[in-house]
Amino acid sequence: MDKQELINRLKPIVSAYAQNKEALDSINEQTDFINDLKINSANLVDVVLDVEEEFDILIDNESMESMLTVGASMAVIEAKIKEK
Amino acid sequence: MIGNDLVDLQAASRESRCSRKGYLQKLFAESEQIMIKTSNHPDMCIWTLWSMKESAYKIHSRKTGERKFAPTKLLTCGMEINGEEMTGSIQTEGSIYFTKTWIRTNYIYSIAAESSDALPLIFTQLHFRPKQLDYRKHQPACVSHHGDYLALAFCY
Repeated sequence: MDKQELINRLKPIVSAYAQNKEALDSINEQTDFINDLKINSANLVDVVLDVEEEFDILIDNESMESMLTVGASMAVIEAKIKEK
Repeated sequence: MIGNDLVDLQAASRESRCSRKGYLQKLFAESEQIMIKTSNHPDMCIWTLWSMKESAYKIHSRKTGERKFAPTKLLTCGMEINGEEMTGSIQTEGSIYFTKTWIRTNYIYSIAAESSDALPLIFTQLHFRPKQLDYRKHQPACVSHHGDYLALAFCY
C-alpha cells in the first residue's frame, strides 16, 4: 500500500472526529490530530479503534503512544500490516 | 505547573461510544477497569477517571516536553470522595500529581497540581457557551474546552 492510499483510508476515519474540517483539505503526514484537526483528546482512542477495524490490525498500547499525527499513525499501521 | 480538564457529559455521550470493544483496555489500567465495571454509574466513572488522568497529563507532558497518547500509564492511585468534590492522585513514570474533581450533572471537571498544597491555589473561570474564544488575553495557566464549556485555570 503506498503512502497516498494509506492517507486516503485514514482521512475518513479522522474526519469523523475532526473539529477543524478545513485542515482536512490539506491533510498530510505532518498533520497533528489535536493541534491541527482539533480532535478532542477523548476521541483519540476512537481513531485508534477505527484504524484497527479499517486495516484489520491490533494496536498494542505501546504502539498507540505515538499516534498523535498522521505520519506516526501511518508508520504504526505499516508496521502492524507487516507483522500480520 | 498546573493542569485542568473538563468533560461536557452531553458532548461526551454524543461523541464517544464507551461500550466499544477494546475501549476501556486502551484507556484504563486494570485496576481502573475494575472500578468502572463495578461502579453503579460506569460512564460517570469513566469520565471522572479520564479527566483526572488528562489534567495530570497536561502537567506531565509540559514537564517532560514529551507528548504521547499513553493513558494506561497514568495510573489513578488514590481517590477520596468528599460530598460533591473528590481528591485523588495520578502516578506516571516516577512522578505523582494531585487532583481535585467536581462531579456535576452536566460536566466533570478536574484540576491537577504537583503537590496537594498547591491545589487550593488554583482557581477556575468556567464559561458556558462562550461567545468569543479569544481567552489568551486572560493568560490562563491551563485551558480545557469541551462541548459547551470553556474552563480557564489560573494560579494565585
